[in-house]
Amino acid sequence: MSTLIDVKNLTKKYNGKPVVDGISFAVKKGEIFGILGPNGAGKTTTLEMLEALRPIDAGSATLGGFAIDKEPEQVKGIIGVQPQTPSFEEKTTLSEIISFFASIYGEKVNAKSFLNDVGLLEKANAYPETLSGGQRQRFSIAVALVHSPQIFFLDEPTTGLDPQARRNLWELIKEVRDKGVTVVMTTHYMEEAELLCDRVAVMDNGKIIALDTPKNLIKALLKKGFTKSAKVEQANLEDVFIDLTGKALRD
Amino acid sequence: MKKSLLPVTTFARIDIKRLFRDKVAIFFVFIFPVMFLLIFGSIFGGDSNISFKVALLSESNNQFTTNFVDEIKKDDVFDIDEKITTLDQAKEKLNRGTIDAAIILPASFGEPGTSGTPAGEATVLYDQSSAQAGQTLASIMQAIFADINKQFVTTVTPFTVKTESTATKGLTQFDYTFAGLLGFTLLSLGVFGPTSVFPRLKQKGVLRRYHTTTLKVWQYFTGNVISNGFTGILSVALMFAIALIVFDLNMRGDYLSFLVMILLGATLMFGIGLAIGGWAKNENQAAPLAQMVALPMMFLSGVFFPTFLMPEFLQKITQFIPLTPIVDGFRMIVTEGMTIFELGPQVGIILIWTVVVYFLAFKLFRWE
Repeated sequence: MSTLIDVKNLTKKYNGKPVVDGISFAVKKGEIFGILGPNGAGKTTTLEMLEALRPIDAGSATLGGFAIDKEPEQVKGIIGVQPQTPSFEEKTTLSEIISFFASIYGEKVNAKSFLNDVGLLEKANAYPETLSGGQRQRFSIAVALVHSPQIFFLDEPTTGLDPQARRNLWELIKEVRDKGVTVVMTTHYMEEAELLCDRVAVMDNGKIIALDTPKNLIKALLKKGFTKSAKVEQANLEDVFIDLTGKALRD
Repeated sequence: MKKSLLPVTTFARIDIKRLFRDKVAIFFVFIFPVMFLLIFGSIFGGDSNISFKVALLSESNNQFTTNFVDEIKKDDVFDIDEKITTLDQAKEKLNRGTIDAAIILPASFGEPGTSGTPAGEATVLYDQSSAQAGQTLASIMQAIFADINKQFVTTVTPFTVKTESTATKGLTQFDYTFAGLLGFTLLSLGVFGPTSVFPRLKQKGVLRRYHTTTLKVWQYFTGNVISNGFTGILSVALMFAIALIVFDLNMRGDYLSFLVMILLGATLMFGIGLAIGGWAKNENQAAPLAQMVALPMMFLSGVFFPTFLMPEFLQKITQFIPLTPIVDGFRMIVTEGMTIFELGPQVGIILIWTVVVYFLAFKLFRWE
């Protein structure tokens, strides 16, 4: 697979203190790439630099062949962005918001088909402020993909969602990847990364401290002689919760 | 080129629809200006003729006096309180300020004098607190008597004074006030609208999201200018219709000039709001700055009282304040029937300000 995103020594400093400290990684076309890390690790800042929202202080990054510091407009044309807390203008129907975002890229689209893709067809004339958290995340994904971007950035997309909405979103993200879109997402939920991501980079204090497939990272840990102190259960409480309440969406 | 205009027209269309769904916006765009118009209109509106509340006490019963009293009753200047019949009553009312003056005709009034023609002396009694009204009334009485005197004595009057108002005939105080109200509406829509909307959109992250797309600042600005220009026209049109129907506004100018003036004014005022709201990170920054810019304009641009009442040095400055040429322009079109082409200086100042304000807005705009 060819490289779509190439990051070299990317650095961002706030008040002289490096928040992102010379990180390098490459994202292959068509994969789901996860950036993991505790709060304050520099995940969001990294994403914002790749989205051409924050100027980079040092290093370089190219997306689809476009240099982020020299061709930010071209970069913006090939990416779709899902912010941490999606927010839209009030008193505006979902259809209108989709049409407006499409118009930015010079496109006229059938808003209903985009809403159908994320299961919100019946909400076409609703306002975003009436949506539930999960619906808003799904709607936001539809908005981010309205111009068929090559790369899709998601910043902690499932934070604050219930287990059903979270699972539904995972399915949606997989569907997006299956359509050929490269996905870069941040999360601090490990099971989410394990289930969803083809490869993950683990960040801490502005540095990447590990980068591999989830399986290889676990293998490497086990090789070091790691054993869980507790007995490994065949199911956890979330499995019980989903078994009891079902997978169907609740919003 | 056509593709880059698509977000502009799409945004404007959606933004206008949004206005009609928002009760708060409807209040500020339509209800509030109309309330303002009705309040100011009823203060300055309707009959601009001055009239005085007076008591008429006549002790004379001759034919001349009867005719004279009838004439005075017909005159609109005198609003006679018929209930007052004695001097004591009149004095009491004068003290309380419920009447401006009492006109007293003594028993000898209208009786033939030394020359054989009717003669007499009327007394205008007024309270010290309403001296101006009393003296004005006395002059009016004198003018009336001068007319009567001419019927009995032919005199030659080589020097006379003719008074004329500069305002064209039929122009009411309301016609003058109306232009100021229009300016006030454009100011409040243009400045207070975006200075509250943009910081809110920033805090919610709506503008930040636009920033992740290829949307350009000029596209976003132009879309906003179109929808706000449209809003301004609707708001002014509603005020205009009410002014025509309720307050008998005398529209002397042509509607095309009027429309151009609205668009120029709305665009400039919105640019000021855009510069402040686009720069401010939150409402705490935007609100005081908006007040600081709007209040001086309100008071120095002839919105509430004419600029010619100000000291001369101030007048020289106020003509260059952005709102002044807008208010003056409206006034010249509506009350003096001038066309937009005759308003070179006004249009010039507006255009210069528009360039300055939008330049600043572009430079200062922040998406978050």
